[in-house]
Amino acid sequence: MSESTATATATRGATRRAGRTAPAPRRSYLRPLLLAVALLVLLALPLYVEEFWLRTGFAVAGAIVGAIGLNLLVGTTGQLSLAHAFFLAVGAVTYTFVAGESGGIGLADLRGLGWPPLVGMVAGVLLAGLAGLLFSPIAARLRGIYLGVASLALVFIGQHVLNSWTQVTGGFNGRSTPEFSLFGFTFGNTDPDLFVLEVPFREAERLWYLGLALALAAYVFARNLLRSRPGRALETLRDSEVAASVMGVNVQRYKGRVFLVSSMYAGLSGVMYALSIGSIAPESFGLELSVLYLAMIVLGGLGSVGGAALGALFVSALPLVFQRYADALPLVGGAGEGGLAPGEAARYLFGLAIILVVLFQPTGLAGLAARFRRRGRDPGGGPADRSASATSDSTTSVPSDPPAQGSTS
Amino acid sequence: MDGVSAAADVRSDVPPVLVEDVTVRFGAITALSQVSFTVEPGTIHAIIGPNGAGKSTMFNVLSGVYKAAEGQVRFGEHRLDRMRPYQIAGIGVARSFQNIALSPAQSVAENLMLGRHHLTRAGFVAAGLRLPRATREGRVHGGRVAEIAEFLDLGDKLHTPVGVLSYGDQKRVEVARALCTEPRLLLLDEPVAGMNAEETDRMAEAVLEIRSALGISVILVEHDMGMVMSLADRVTVLDFGRRIADGTPAEVQSDPEVIRAYLGSGDEIDPSEAAEAAAAAHPSETPGTTS
Ligand SMILES: Nc1ncnc2c1ncn2[C@@H]1O[C@H](COP(=O)(O)OP(=O)(O)OP(=O)(O)O)[C@@H](O)[C@H]1O
Ligand SMILES: [Mg+2]
Repeated sequence: MSESTATATATRGATRRAGRTAPAPRRSYLRPLLLAVALLVLLALPLYVEEFWLRTGFAVAGAIVGAIGLNLLVGTTGQLSLAHAFFLAVGAVTYTFVAGESGGIGLADLRGLGWPPLVGMVAGVLLAGLAGLLFSPIAARLRGIYLGVASLALVFIGQHVLNSWTQVTGGFNGRSTPEFSLFGFTFGNTDPDLFVLEVPFREAERLWYLGLALALAAYVFARNLLRSRPGRALETLRDSEVAASVMGVNVQRYKGRVFLVSSMYAGLSGVMYALSIGSIAPESFGLELSVLYLAMIVLGGLGSVGGAALGALFVSALPLVFQRYADALPLVGGAGEGGLAPGEAARYLFGLAIILVVLFQPTGLAGLAARFRRRGRDPGGGPADRSASATSDSTTSVPSDPPAQGSTS
Repeated sequence: MDGVSAAADVRSDVPPVLVEDVTVRFGAITALSQVSFTVEPGTIHAIIGPNGAGKSTMFNVLSGVYKAAEGQVRFGEHRLDRMRPYQIAGIGVARSFQNIALSPAQSVAENLMLGRHHLTRAGFVAAGLRLPRATREGRVHGGRVAEIAEFLDLGDKLHTPVGVLSYGDQKRVEVARALCTEPRLLLLDEPVAGMNAEETDRMAEAVLEIRSALGISVILVEHDMGMVMSLADRVTVLDFGRRIADGTPAEVQSDPEVIRAYLGSGDEIDPSEAAEAAAAAHPSETPGTTS
């Protein structure tokens, strides 16, 4: 049944294309223009939008970085990891320790290096990378779901360390995150006082730009990666490890590398998460966070960088928005009131959304977006357009890899 | 394409392939038992045999995917039986898969570029930051990939996702991808299975041209007897994992044991019928294309 469909589509594709000359990827001017406009809007937003939305925006930016990193591992390479929360924690704790001051808060005797926050951020990324590197021999040898189970151990180790290494992490009470600064310019409310077009640029406004820059960099890096040699190797090893290795890809090394890159993304995301919440605490980095990240990339579209960003937007912004509009929403109640708690309501919605995606739209939000784009350009659904649509359609990206499937009969 | 059409004799860096007493077991099954043969440089060497004879298993040994329990495989000074698949690719051994193992979501060009993997260097940092050397490398190798695609009639499909191509086209992408590694030894596992007569003829021509223009060795697994007999310089016949004959096409064709193997395998009286049956079975086994 499925085979005849496949053959049918294949033949249809072929006859449609017969006699056509090379349909090179079409470069339209509309796309860069739209991107430029979108960027301008994002840059101007702090002038018009209130603090809540800017703070939400920074949280979303942090989630985007983390989701892109996880998607490189899970969506592109087909390796499942539940340890993402652990690597976020490494980034967050490292930043807080390196940039934070020593001193006692209440009973806790906290240690910190008091170094510049930028150093703390870089250290957070590097240390998360190092943790990923230490784990990567395991990551390189396991495939798909097995890696998922093995990586679960890291989350529990992380929880234990967060709770017990009080001098660094603040223990179960957590500790507050030092505010970010860049060469003397702090991302706080003052120092220096800043007004743009008579709008005060305080912490929320400043962090907004930081988030925008970091998320954009993370996005561009991942896009470049996927479109070149390492990206092709990763995608092929997801589709068939045997084919990848026979074509010269050192499969183990690439699995290790992508795990390293993914954990560095998580490290940066962890630093941003800590900055966004203003503190770190063990319960922020539990298994639930890993699951939320998986939800982001499944909803957004496995293997798609843009999809990861969309999924991150949806999953990380929704609870915050629910919280803010708890009064206006049916069923959702504020703290201490009847009805669903906002976080809970958001979780039900994610659950529902994931079921819908798995059933009806396996390519996630990214696939949905591509479908609309295609419809807008070509009502007949003709073949004139290359991959954008077709790629995301066939990129079900289910991490499948029957061993030696391609080589035995 | 220059590389292929420029006349050349046997390349001086193509050593013989020496397969010596190779045995492969899967639990109780002995897929290959003490198989030996030699592939002389610059020849087209066919491996034939009924379904399940162990032909693909031999390819998996040659490309490092399976480890031989006994015996050895030499390629010049290299011991292929001791190397990992990516290392074997690195010394110029390329292979196409019987059951297409392409990435369906990637375009033809992207799939072919994977063949350039061991010839290129760009790592994660260079690629992510689009360093000039990474983009230059991509451009240069993209040019060669386009030539090879043109050679196998895929020039107009470079930007088409492989998953929507016809079965015959996908088979050609398989062969093109192997060629893109600039091999010294090319292993083709049933390159024309599922193709129509015209496509088969073109593929046969292509194989001849690859051999004559590049001067490399080709090992061909094929059920299409017409193709085997007209292309091969030498034929090794396997049956139930054993080598039952080895010689020129004419010798092998008249070998009583070979005739018995093909007649005795029950329903597959005619080898070409067997080929058709195999072809019909393929699309369902194609990994990924049925998504
Ligand atoms: N990975 C494996 N695990 C177990 N048995 C295997 C494996 N690979 C091959 N075999 C068995 O080894 C034998 C030879 O298989 P092989 O694929 O080499 O045959 P073949 O000659 O290529 O046949 P065909 O013409 O159908 O492609 C078969 O009995 C097959 O079931
Ligand atoms: Mg076979």
